[in-house]
Amino acid sequence: MDQGLNRRGFLKLSAAGSALLATGSGLALLTGCSSNDGPAQGYRYLRSQDLDLLRPLARAVLGPAIAAVPDASADSALHAFENLLDGAMPGTRAALFQVFDLMQLAPARWYITGTWAHFADQSETELAQTLAHWSASDRSLSRMAFKGLTQPLFMAWYVEPDAARTTGYPGPPQKIVA
Amino acid sequence: MQDLSTLQIKGIKDPWKAGIAGGWNVIDGRTLTSDQTLEADVIIIGSGAGGGVSAEILSQRGLRVILVEAGKLKSSDAFNMDEGDAYRDLYQEGAMRANKDASMTILQGRTVGGTTVVNWTSSFRTPRETLQHWHDRYGVKGLDRETLDPWFERMEKRLNISKWAMPPNANNDVLRKGCEAMGWRWAVIPRNVSGCWNIGYCGMGCPTNAKQSMLVTTIPAAMTAGAVLVHSAQADHLLIEGDKVTGVAVHPLDDNKQRTGATLTLKAGTVIAAGGGIQTPALLLRSKAPDPNGRVGKRTFLHPTTFSYGRFDQEMAPYYGAPQSMYSDEFTFKHGVEGPAGYKLEMMPLHPGLASALLGGYGADAREEIAQLPNLTGAIALLRDGFHEDSVGGTVELRDNGEPLLDYPVNDYLLDGAKRAHLTMAEMQFAAGAKAVRPGHSHAGYYNRWQEARAAIEGFDYAPVITGMGSAHVMGGCAMGDDDQHCVVNADGSYKYLDNLYVIDGSVLPTSLGVNPQLTLYSLSAKNATALADKLTA
Repeated sequence: MDQGLNRRGFLKLSAAGSALLATGSGLALLTGCSSNDGPAQGYRYLRSQDLDLLRPLARAVLGPAIAAVPDASADSALHAFENLLDGAMPGTRAALFQVFDLMQLAPARWYITGTWAHFADQSETELAQTLAHWSASDRSLSRMAFKGLTQPLFMAWYVEPDAARTTGYPGPPQKIVA
Repeated sequence: MQDLSTLQIKGIKDPWKAGIAGGWNVIDGRTLTSDQTLEADVIIIGSGAGGGVSAEILSQRGLRVILVEAGKLKSSDAFNMDEGDAYRDLYQEGAMRANKDASMTILQGRTVGGTTVVNWTSSFRTPRETLQHWHDRYGVKGLDRETLDPWFERMEKRLNISKWAMPPNANNDVLRKGCEAMGWRWAVIPRNVSGCWNIGYCGMGCPTNAKQSMLVTTIPAAMTAGAVLVHSAQADHLLIEGDKVTGVAVHPLDDNKQRTGATLTLKAGTVIAAGGGIQTPALLLRSKAPDPNGRVGKRTFLHPTTFSYGRFDQEMAPYYGAPQSMYSDEFTFKHGVEGPAGYKLEMMPLHPGLASALLGGYGADAREEIAQLPNLTGAIALLRDGFHEDSVGGTVELRDNGEPLLDYPVNDYLLDGAKRAHLTMAEMQFAAGAKAVRPGHSHAGYYNRWQEARAAIEGFDYAPVITGMGSAHVMGGCAMGDDDQHCVVNADGSYKYLDNLYVIDGSVLPTSLGVNPQLTLYSLSAKNATALADKLTA
């Protein structure tokens, strides 16, 4: 990955202002700038750098939800995420991966979350502070990225039957096919 | 505690199992790995409300019909009421569809039967105000209520539409009680069901075949009349020779929605685009269909929908029971047809996946919130978009790979409507006895009193993304009407700039409707497909 090109791309993007960012066209500037070594071992879509990003994020966003399911871990949440990605179209996944790639860049993390450090390098307390700051940001790109990353994590997790039942939902009736 | 998890649903006959055994002609795109050509009298692209109704009418008139569907064929034996399975197999983009800036989640069907397989069964006739507006502003002729009423009657009878006769579930009773206490109008929703078990899984494919979707009504009738269904096959582009459409190039898809590599060429004297809002404009854009005023994909509407969550002391079980049975039109046209955004009030079912995604947040607070799901209720307000000059809707674009993407900025007109809708819903929920109410806004918490909620709503930053919005109704993008500056389709469904091409789906609506769209689409499609059948068999 050419970090220089990425930084230039990012600076251009931040200078263009939030109106441009809100249209999402800013994200497209970064298309093609990411490394793509294919999915990580044991995964169908997520690459190893995505796991580094999403594993700590899943712990911070879904921690108590994961703890409510016996034997579940942050990796369970990432596998659930993959089940959700299964249904998406290639273009949907590509747009999501652009956000992942953006979050790999320190200046982007600073602009979006207010913190330079990679999620994997933040303590639990630091990450909680990062989320508090990020979720309250009034920047359009920050808001888009927060929703874009956290909403699918929730959806993916709570459609899993074991997780769904921890909400108090008893589950669906049984369909019996003769 | 309400618990349906031990209820057994058995003894349900899957009409597709018997139909296929009896000789229905079904082609599974996943099995197509070499190029093929098929011919017919009419090709229908899309099997939802427009395509399903058209298929029945045309094939019963003796025309050879091929119905093409990008989604899979799944029917009652496969409907297991699992939320994740439903999103993956029955919804566009696996329920991850959103507008371009991710400010609105878009729930739209993608399966044989289209959105009719996953909608919540609410069936309303088109409001007179909407039809009059189309006539006055877009030159839509011959679609007044008196002309349409026989078509509504016909489709109400065909799909067993009548007001829900059973008591509402606790979630919907909030709307009734709240509106009653406030002195606001409310009424019972007409539903397209027959022998409904009242369990609450309309959004995941009806496991009992009670919902009279296209999957169990018009499409089986078309199959019996000799229609061919090609599913798991995406219409890529129209075949255009001069100013005529002669067929469609179709890409069969494998289980991962990737091309199998084969091309299926469908040839016919008449082609009906029925992919619905977003898909039909995208097909025309990929086909580079003539469009002198650049209107294809423009003015795509969503009924942008805002949310309000009411928490009760008692159990509400918002995941069980008919998902929508009560509504209020108190605010739909209150400030005039072309005034500030009006909104229709309804309730939404809350299953864990969708509910948690809409509630948002993170960490311990989010966990605490979702863990009270049994006591939660969800009110929604459908904003009527497209009637005011500041409400121009969205524009369908194509990604580099040809997939559609809707650029629909959430502007101040909508945000003003969202704020007023939040006030209305919170007041209604407190009036119905809610212990605490949380407006669907990222900055909102739960408020214990109406005055507290009102003060909070008045103080929020109403901006895109943080203002929770979604859509389950995609309309427009290929507007019908005589006004060529805005419209690309005539009122009979014919495309203005190509011969042999008809658009019979929700994309022809010049604005949103102000009501859930299915009955409008069934009736308008029946009218236009009947006229087309008359023409083709003359």
